[in-house]
Amino acid sequence: MTTRAVETWTLEPLVKFVKEAGARLVLVMTSAGQVLAQHGFSRAVDVMSAAALGAAIMASTDEMARQLRQPAFAALNHQGERHGIFLAGLATGRARLVALVVYDLDVSSLGLVQLFFEQLAADLHAASPKDSVPKQVLAADFERQLSDSLNTLFGR
Amino acid sequence: MTAPAAAYGKALDLITRVRGVRGAMLVSAEDGIVVAEQLMEGIKGPAVSALAASLGARLRRAMEAAGVGASVFWHLQAEQGALLVVPTPGGTLVVAVAEPDVNVGLVRLELLRAAEVVG
Amino acid sequence: MPDAIKTLSSQLAQDPDSLVFLRLGELLRQKGQLDTAHRVALTGLERHPHLPDAHDLYARILADKHDYERAFDEWDMALRIAPDHVGALKGLAFLYFKVGDVQQAAAHLEAAQRVAPNDPGVAQALALARGEAGTVAEPEPIAPAAQPMEEARVFAGLEGAQEGLLLLDASGRVLGGALKDPAGRDVTDAVAAYLAGVSQEAARTVKLLGLGKWTGLAAEGKLGHVHLAPPSSDALLLVVRDRAVPMGRLAIIAQRAALAARRWLEAHA
Repeated sequence: MTTRAVETWTLEPLVKFVKEAGARLVLVMTSAGQVLAQHGFSRAVDVMSAAALGAAIMASTDEMARQLRQPAFAALNHQGERHGIFLAGLATGRARLVALVVYDLDVSSLGLVQLFFEQLAADLHAASPKDSVPKQVLAADFERQLSDSLNTLFGR
Repeated sequence: MTAPAAAYGKALDLITRVRGVRGAMLVSAEDGIVVAEQLMEGIKGPAVSALAASLGARLRRAMEAAGVGASVFWHLQAEQGALLVVPTPGGTLVVAVAEPDVNVGLVRLELLRAAEVVG
Repeated sequence: MPDAIKTLSSQLAQDPDSLVFLRLGELLRQKGQLDTAHRVALTGLERHPHLPDAHDLYARILADKHDYERAFDEWDMALRIAPDHVGALKGLAFLYFKVGDVQQAAAHLEAAQRVAPNDPGVAQALALARGEAGTVAEPEPIAPAAQPMEEARVFAGLEGAQEGLLLLDASGRVLGGALKDPAGRDVTDAVAAYLAGVSQEAARTVKLLGLGKWTGLAAEGKLGHVHLAPPSSDALLLVVRDRAVPMGRLAIIAQRAALAARRWLEAHA
């Protein structure tokens, strides 16, 4: 399975994380669900679905934390029979990002994913460009940017 | 779990009293997450728990393949320290992090006693 | 055959979306051109991610490259798409057989036989898995088995050389010795397959915890004891004994065996 990045500074930290944590699928995305890098996905539609769902889950739990008058939850974990899903936010010089990690329970564990996620967060923070002005994305450009991103993420 | 949380503290206490032990923990074997800990400064609890659980799982498979049955106790010796582990029937690992020249027999006994308490 | 590869390559170049990559990938695999086969299969899989035959081909190539974990994933994926896929059932049976899980191997072969009752390969493999007598040839291995060099010579003269001492290289390939379980079955390959992972995890654990290099891993089991040690930076030694042998004595046996292994490795470097 390959690791690909739209934003190249995310690639090396992600490759290292996948190897150490034994993750099966990983998405690194913005809070809005725009994917910066992925590992293990073979279909664009799966990336889009996972990114949208992951961003929505984070947004829901952020709102829940707000209503409870608490800081945002650090991480979420869902455990199935064979796989676990781990979702967590991380701060970079540019913006808050979200990582979605799917791991096989036979190969990895929540403990390992959490352990190496801390390093991933630190590495991404260190590698991120420090933009002072966020780029404006026009609606007309959005579809083209999405298409370009998907092409990059799948090496086309 | 068969014992109240207060009993965990006492069980870990007895382990850390053995000379050369730098920390003791209870770890969920399935998740690699810390359940309880008593660690000296500088010992990274989450790292110990995640790695001990992962190594334990791999060792368990190798031991089953070798036909020696489920693990009762295992001990990873290194140049600058040691990790000693007893798995409990309830899916917890009782873990001790120790100096390289610790009395393994004594630590093993205390780990087994703690495992009986934890269940 | 080179002509066939040329013809199929040309067809694929003209129509990259065609399924001819399946035949091409398989031919390349059979010729041992695994890297090229790998590229062909992966590109085809990216274009046809829901084609179980594509996952099956990729898995076979991965298995040939000894990447059994990923081969397992690919055959598993093929079965998710097509639960009756004979190739995937056979492939998983092979992997289970390889790690000594004969029950699972037989279960998968039985499932394959239900779908393809006239497949002689499935019947033979199933007979082997069930331990039947007769002129049953061992199923053709996907990858050649490791050849231990001068088998028992590594531990010549040491107690348990034939059934309780095992020397592996860093990739988990057997260099010498052999292992039998309490029932007398040869479990050398099955255990070797797991030990490389144990050793890598032990090395990672001590590194991340700042404990220096690992020098030994001893484990007490309900039926026996094991001691794993690295006699050199790229070799692993396993000693196995029943519970009657105390752990302390096991450590001494392991020290002697490690010395013998080191000498042998140096002589064969």
